[in-house]
Formats: sequence, C-alpha cells, structure tokens
Amino acid sequence: MAITEAEVRHVAMLARLALTDEQVQHLARELSSILGHIDEIKALDLAGVEPTAHAFPVRNVMRPDEVRPGLPRDLALANAPEARDGAFVIPRIVGAEEGA
Amino acid sequence: MADRTLMHMTAARLRDAIARREVSAREVAEAALAQVEALDARVHAFNQVTPDLALAAAERIDRMVAAGEDLPPLAGVPAGIKDNMNLLGTRTTCSSRILENYESVYTCTAVQRLLDAGALPIGKCNMDEFAFGSSTENSAFGPTRNPWDLERVPGGSSGGSAAAVAARMATVSLGSDTGGSIRQPGALTGTVAVKPTYGRVSRYGLVAFASSLDQIGPFARTVEDAALVLQAIAGKDPMDATSVDEPVSDYIAALDAGVAGLRVGVVTDMLELEGCAGEVRASVERAAKAFADLGADVGEVELPMSRHGLSAYYIIGPAEASSNLARFDGIRYGYRVPDAEDVLDLCMRSRAEGFGTETIRRVMLGTYALSAGYYDAYYGQAQKTRTLIMREFAEAFERFDVLLTPTSPTVAFKIGEKASDPLAMYLSDVYTIPLNLAGLPGISVPAGLCEESGLPIGVQIAARHFDESTMFRAAAALEGALGLDMTPPLVRET
Amino acid sequence: MAKDRLAGVLERYEAVIGLEIHTELTSLNSKMFCGCPVAFGGEPNTRVCPVCLGMPGALPVPNEAAVEATVLAGLALDCEIARFSQFHRKNYFYPDMPKNYQISQYDLPFCTNGRLDVEVGEGDAAYVTRIGITRIHLEEDTGKMIHVGGAEGRIAGADFSLVDFNRAGTPLIELVTEPDIRTPEEARRFAQTLRTIFLALGISDCSMEEGSMRVDANVSIRPRGASEFGTKAEVKNMNSFKALHDALAYEIVRQADLLDSGGRVVQETRHWDAGAKRTSALRSKEEAHDYRYFPEPDMVPFEFTDEWIESVRAKLPELPAARRDRYVSDLGLPKQDARLIADDVALSRFFEAAVQAAGASRAKPVANWVLGELSAHLNATGAAVDECGVSPAMLAELVVLVDDGVISGKQAKEVFAEMVVTGEMPGAIVERKGMRQVSDEAAIEAAVRKVLDENPAEVSSYRAGKTGLVGWFVGQVMREMRGQANPAVVNEVVRRLLEQ
Repeated sequence: MAITEAEVRHVAMLARLALTDEQVQHLARELSSILGHIDEIKALDLAGVEPTAHAFPVRNVMRPDEVRPGLPRDLALANAPEARDGAFVIPRIVGAEEGA
Repeated sequence: MADRTLMHMTAARLRDAIARREVSAREVAEAALAQVEALDARVHAFNQVTPDLALAAAERIDRMVAAGEDLPPLAGVPAGIKDNMNLLGTRTTCSSRILENYESVYTCTAVQRLLDAGALPIGKCNMDEFAFGSSTENSAFGPTRNPWDLERVPGGSSGGSAAAVAARMATVSLGSDTGGSIRQPGALTGTVAVKPTYGRVSRYGLVAFASSLDQIGPFARTVEDAALVLQAIAGKDPMDATSVDEPVSDYIAALDAGVAGLRVGVVTDMLELEGCAGEVRASVERAAKAFADLGADVGEVELPMSRHGLSAYYIIGPAEASSNLARFDGIRYGYRVPDAEDVLDLCMRSRAEGFGTETIRRVMLGTYALSAGYYDAYYGQAQKTRTLIMREFAEAFERFDVLLTPTSPTVAFKIGEKASDPLAMYLSDVYTIPLNLAGLPGISVPAGLCEESGLPIGVQIAARHFDESTMFRAAAALEGALGLDMTPPLVRET
Repeated sequence: MAKDRLAGVLERYEAVIGLEIHTELTSLNSKMFCGCPVAFGGEPNTRVCPVCLGMPGALPVPNEAAVEATVLAGLALDCEIARFSQFHRKNYFYPDMPKNYQISQYDLPFCTNGRLDVEVGEGDAAYVTRIGITRIHLEEDTGKMIHVGGAEGRIAGADFSLVDFNRAGTPLIELVTEPDIRTPEEARRFAQTLRTIFLALGISDCSMEEGSMRVDANVSIRPRGASEFGTKAEVKNMNSFKALHDALAYEIVRQADLLDSGGRVVQETRHWDAGAKRTSALRSKEEAHDYRYFPEPDMVPFEFTDEWIESVRAKLPELPAARRDRYVSDLGLPKQDARLIADDVALSRFFEAAVQAAGASRAKPVANWVLGELSAHLNATGAAVDECGVSPAMLAELVVLVDDGVISGKQAKEVFAEMVVTGEMPGAIVERKGMRQVSDEAAIEAAVRKVLDENPAEVSSYRAGKTGLVGWFVGQVMREMRGQANPAVVNEVVRRLLEQ
C-alpha cells in the first residue's frame, strides 16, 4: 500500500514530529515499501479469530488502595528543561482548547 | 595492577572464589574496569561506565565476606546493564539524543534484583535507539562493534550488553528483547542469551518499546550463568501488572538432568526460508544431531503461521512504540529545543530533533497503523495473527518439549551493510519474533563458528510458557556436547 | 435574558440534551495507577511519582478500590456490569497529560445501559423523567496548568504556563447520558440527583467548585414534532448547577435565534462565561481528533464474576430516593422535608439517630428542628453536621422536653442556643436555668386571676366583643410567670375565666 506525502504529513502531525520536506519524501517511500511487505497480513482470512493482546491469559491484576511514598519534588523536577516555583515551565499554548 | 584474567571466570566461579577469599570483590571490580579501559575504546559497548557504583557494591560484598555472612548468588559478579533500564545514580539514555542527559530518578526492578543478588554494576550498555534495530548502529552515540570482528555489528538492539560479555568487560549483562533484541546479538557475539516468558521478569523501570512484547533477560558466557541471573531477576513484581505470579523454579537444579527422552522439535520450514545462510542451517542440523546423540527424541515440525510473524510484529511493535514514546515531549525531561515559539512547536521540534531516523520511522509507522480507518486492517489483524501463531506453538508443544530453530539467518554483518535498507534489517529477527508474539521463552546458544568467516553462529531453543527449566536443561546439554571455545580473537590478543 | 425567552423558544423547539459528567473518586486514598495520595490543591508537584509523572519505564497498576467504586456507581444507576472489560489508551498530546495518552476505556466500559429517574419541578407541576445512562467508565485525570501573564490566567494571551501534576492520575469516572434531557431544569435536576447518589455512595465529594465534578453538555434543538436531531454544540466550563442551567438556557435560545434568522448551528465546542452570561466558540486547531485507541498493553483485562458483582451490590447503601420515600411512608414527613434530609447523607444519619432516640412518633418535630435550627446553625458556622457540637441525642432530648410540655418552643430555642455553646444536654440546661415550664393549672389560674383583677377595663372590652384581646391576656400572664408557663394551658385558662 502506497502512502502519500500528504498522509505522511498528517501522520507526522498526529505523532507531533516536525519533519523536513526531505524527511517527508523519504518516509513516504520507506513506509510504502514497508507497508508493501506488511500488507500480506491483510490477505489472511482471520474471520472468527479472537485477537490476542497478551500471550498469557492473566486477569484482574490490581493493587490495594494504599498510599506509597512518591518522588521528592527536587527529584521530580531534576530533569526538567525549565522549572519555576516547583512547577514545569512551558511556553504559551496557541490555538488549544481551553481546559481540554 | 588489576588482574584481567579474572574476567575469564564464570559468574558461578567468581562468587565461589570470593566466598573462599581467593579474590576480593574489589579486585574483580577493578579487573572489569581495567578490561573496559583496555577494550571499550574499540568496542564501544558502554554509554556510561560506573566505577563508583561498582566499587561501592564490591565493598559491600567484601564487608559481608569479612563478616562471614552468606553471600548472595551473584556476589561480586561484574554486570552490564542495557541503557534502557533505570538505575539511580546513572543516566538512562536509551542511546537517544532526546534522553542524552536524562538522570534516572528511580531503579528498575530487575536491575535492583540483580544488585540485591550481589552483582557489581559496571556501566550502562549501548543499544539501538529505544531498542529499534538489530545492529546497534541506530545509537545516537555511535555503533557498538563486534568483538569478533570490529568491522562488524554485534547485532541488536542489545548489542552493547552482548559485546560487553563477549569481550569480557562484564561477566553477565541485562538486555531487553522485543523481537529478538537479546537472542540475535547473543548469536552474533557467541554468547548465551535468554528471553524469558513474557511476564516472568518485571518490566518496571525498563523504558518501554512494545509493552506487550518487551522482556528483560540475561547475557552470559555459559548457560549456568544465564540461569543464575534469570533466577535472581525473575518473579512477580507488584509494580508491573503484566508480571505473572507463577513460582520461579530452581533453574540450576535442572541443568544437569540431561536430555534423554526429551522431545526436541526441529522447525524445518524455518530452515528453508530464503535468506537463511547454509552455515546457519548446518549449525541447526549439527545441534539436532547432538541432541539425538544425547538420547533426545528428535523430530520435525512446521510452523507455517510464524512466517506472518514479521508482519504482525512490524505492526504491533511500532503501534505500541508510537504511544509509549509520546511521553518524550520536552516538557518534564529530555531534550528541548531552545527557541520554541509555543508548546506545539516545542513538542514537534524537540521530538523531530531528539529522535533518530529509525525511531521516527517506527513512530510514523505505528501512528499510521493505529490511525482512523486502519486499526482493523493492521493492529486488529496483527493481534489475530498472534492468536494463530500462539495456537500453532501450543500444538507443537503437545508433541515436543522444546523447539530448535536458528537464532539469526546470518552471522554478524558489516557495519553499514544494511543501514540503508530497513527491510533487510528487519529480516534479522525472523526466527526470534514469533516467540515474542507468543510470549514464549527462548535461549540462543552458541552452536559453532562459521568456517568461512570465523564468526559465531547461534541456535535458538524455545520452550513452553514458564518452562525455562527445560529450556536451560536442553541448552546446557547442547553446550556440553558441543564444547565450544567462544573467546573472540580480540580478547585472546589483549 | 435567555431565561426569560426560554419558555417561548421551547414552545416552538424541542431541546435535546445529553450530559457528560466527570467525577473524581476523591474518597479514595491513592491515585488510579500509583500510590500517590488523592487530595486537592497543595504545593505543585508534591504528590507525584514516576508513574503519574510519566517518567520513562514507569508502569500503571490499577487501584482495585477505584474499579469497585465505578461498578458500585453503575449498580446504583441500574447499569449492566461488563463481565469482560479492559482499559484502552486514548492517544493525544496535551501539556498537562504526562504520558501524552490517557488511560481510559473505549468499547468495553465497566458499566453500560443504566438509567436514573429524576424529579423535576415542585407541587402540581412536578413530574418524573427517566434519563438513560449510556455508559460509565473509569479513567485518569490530567494535571493542571497555571497560565502566567496576559489576562486573568486564561490560556489566550499568556506568556507561559506552569504545569503541576498533583492531580494527574486521580481516579476519574466518566458518565455519559442518552440525549434524553429536554430542558435546562431537567439537566440541572439530573446533575443534582446524581450528585446526591455519588455522595450517598461515598465515592466522591462531588465539588463542582473544586472541579471534582465536572459537567459538559451536548445541546441541539429541533422544531417540535421533528424526529431528526439538529446539529449539536458541546458546552463546557459550567462550574455550578446554576451555571449548567443558565448556559443551557442561553445555548438553546442562541440556537433558536440562529435557526429563526435562517442561519444554521455549527458543530463546535463552546465555553460558558458565567460573568458575561454567554457561551462562545473556542478557537481550536483545524486538526480533527484521531485518538488511536488501542488496548492498554501495560495492564491485563478484567473478568468480573456474578459472585463478585453481587458482593459489590451488597455494599450499596440506601439511596436518597428510597430514603426519602421511607421518611414519607414510615415517618410521615412531608415530601419536601423528607427530600431535603434524605439527599444529604450526613444529615440523614443525624436525623435517623435523633428519631431513634426520640421515638418515631416524634419524627416530624425532629425533622423540623433538623431543617430549622440545626441547619441554620450549620449554615452560620460552616460546620459539618457530625462535628457541629450538637449530637442526635441532644436534639432528641430537646424535642422530648417540648413534646412533654416541660419547656415551651420558645424556651427550647434558648436551650438550643445554649447547648450549642456549652455542649450540655438540654435537660441539664433546663434544670440549671430553672426553665421548667409550669403546667400546673392551679398556679396558672392564680396568675390569670391576678391579671384579670388588675385589668378590669380590658376584661370589659373583651366581654363586650373584642375577643381578639385574648392574645394580650395570654402575653400578660406569660410575663407574670416569667415565660415559664405552658402557653397552651394559659390560653385555655384565660378563655375559661373570661367567658365566666
């Protein structure tokens, strides 16, 4: 299945990747080639076959409602590119839904 | 002057030597660090060497020895840790520019268990970025070289962990395996390499690639050492909901039981795949003969569905990865472009500049496969294929106790040889991927050296879910029967 | 404005409203997928760990109490409980979402197909409407952002933002209704009724102000008699029940005006501005949402057995509607009073304990005290009923003292005010202050005779027909007896002697 450059740009937006035009061209070619091989799977007749998400059928794994120690704030912020007043700093948000 | 010959000892012997006070843990740590010093400039197995951590761990062991305490099973054993596992006091980079300066804020469960068992952390091992690759060329910090031939790749993605053990810079190491990332480099570096049953080892603290396939496992130079490490790290972890609460059996006790009467199935249709080198096929046949000579009941089996495993894997893996890697956005940690205009710009450019080529390729592929209108055709279909592959294995395991296949279709290839052809690279894992999809345990055991190139060849032994004991038993028997010397020329020379 | 015109608009158009209600499970100890505490506010990033910060390698493990609370909510709302269920990942990028995917549920929610009967209106205009509940699922909340610079902490115009992940990972249940709601009042009553149920279940504090209960609405209108739905708008940011009502009223009128003037409704998200009393469209990116849902591979599925579901059902407390009906039928309370008490779990508990102590026959005066003096005291002090200084036993004793004629109603109010301060039992206060009411007819008769003797003119006027003076005589007698006489007895004696 061929994937167009427009589709590559759309997918790059979903994946939040700022690609150069050159990368878009390359990826359109490469992804088309990879999908060309992967597409064989579409031809398999799998009607009535249950999907498997995990190889081992374990169920209902939960934890008790107990508080456990977390990270001290300085460790939580240790890797922050920018922090201020105990919070992570980000630049302005443009065109986003308020309170989304 | 450190005694680097200590690095030729197995983990089992090192521990005993320390317990008998023939050598101190500190001397072992110094030997490992000296070996790193001597070889790693050429091999580049490590992203970060951690002498302080290693020496501090050694001191704890030596204090235990002095106090006459019982030593834990891996006391004083130098260990390498793949750089996608968190360890407090180290960076965890995943060989990615986006995490180049990322300091671990907690410790991975499997790593903690390894340290609790007395191992000495020598450093963090190079890998393909985020474990995407089969050659360790996709590292932001440069490729790891195969100690058998420095012009060749060690395999991947856990190439650093494999090379560190092969070059005797670590006695054992931890890797992670999503589609073959432990077993394939194991085969290409002549080491013993184990992917346990999915759920056998906690994934907590392992930076996720594909959550439903990832599993941590050991590299070692002997089957016994690999079993010792798995023994130490296996078991339920309340921090990983997918780790399974099955008892961990005594792997070491099973090692010497032999294979008389064991039913070994040679997967014949895998041998006939295009691209499987003649030498590789010959090694599998040699291994099959060795099993038969030891009294095993050797038969043949076909796994036709498994050939669709590659396609299923290249949908499920990238799909899960595209979601797992979404957290790298330059907000809480990791690389951030300095001049972002707004949050969207920051996120998009930090990711595009922070991720390498193969990472971008996989994230794009996975995002596409999950996007509206394609889910059923790709992810849904892949999950169903998985069901059929599991069913096929279940049937094979009704007739056989273990299955025998090649680990990799070829020996180690030249650096750069497949770099421009992602599909050719993806084929490296054709034999290992089906086990990840089915969640089954597998081990790669050295089975010979290629006559032409002198490079190692491995075979893969697969077993039933949670039956690592039988897997180790068969591997130990084969190892004993073949009696190979797997010392790379580089180590012999230096 | 909109509210005044709503009735007229609703004569011509039918509104179709569906609600989407997010409720944080604030009563839990720990977050949805990690052991960080659930709490409100606090210094930023002080209740975080590798899991809820989305640090590399961290993994989620679901909180079993959150799963149970969701199923409990489903059972309270007559939902079907899934026998097989799982979490999915909802993938989208947002700076307050640590993993850039939300662990939520998709096609296999825990609860589906429920309903809630809602009573709307008062008196003769009251009616009951049944609202279908499409689903209830469990997910995790996001962090919070503080926007710095620009105007009023809004995103638009801010210079930069600070991100705090204390709230990230708080267990959140999302309830979606069928589009069965027809008026803003029905929407408000639905949300209020739901709140009383969740409070009764003890799963959340349901504070719309603090955001632990958040209501969004989908609204469309269609001409009366039409069967097709109109284009809907989604309305957000309604931070109170009044805001919910007013925003929907505004939106319905706005849509009607659009249609009446030949325009058409655009499918969009609109933001309620409580200050300006209007909704406005949000600027949003062109990009259409594509959440790329897939089964959460870090967790395993759930299989609920009938036994387990029944064990949760056994934990269902009495719900407000049933409690109210019981107060009406068993205790004889007026429906309105019964509802006011029954809707409030703590108040109900207090009321029932007081009735138990005072006797069921005194339920009505107990209810009057609970809704009167006690509620006024709670409002004035802001105290919770179980720590307001008045115990059910104290109130019960007070009611009995009045009912037995030991003190008058007026005295009882004095005693109440006193016991709130001192914490003494009412009987002790009555004794200490010598307030014991005089019901002895002989003593009262003596006082009445004294008053009649001292006021011959008024006696004459009364006997000449000014019978309204009886109250004045009673007052004089009460004053004579320093308020300690039983007013009913005084009244009776005054009349008897005046008629002689």
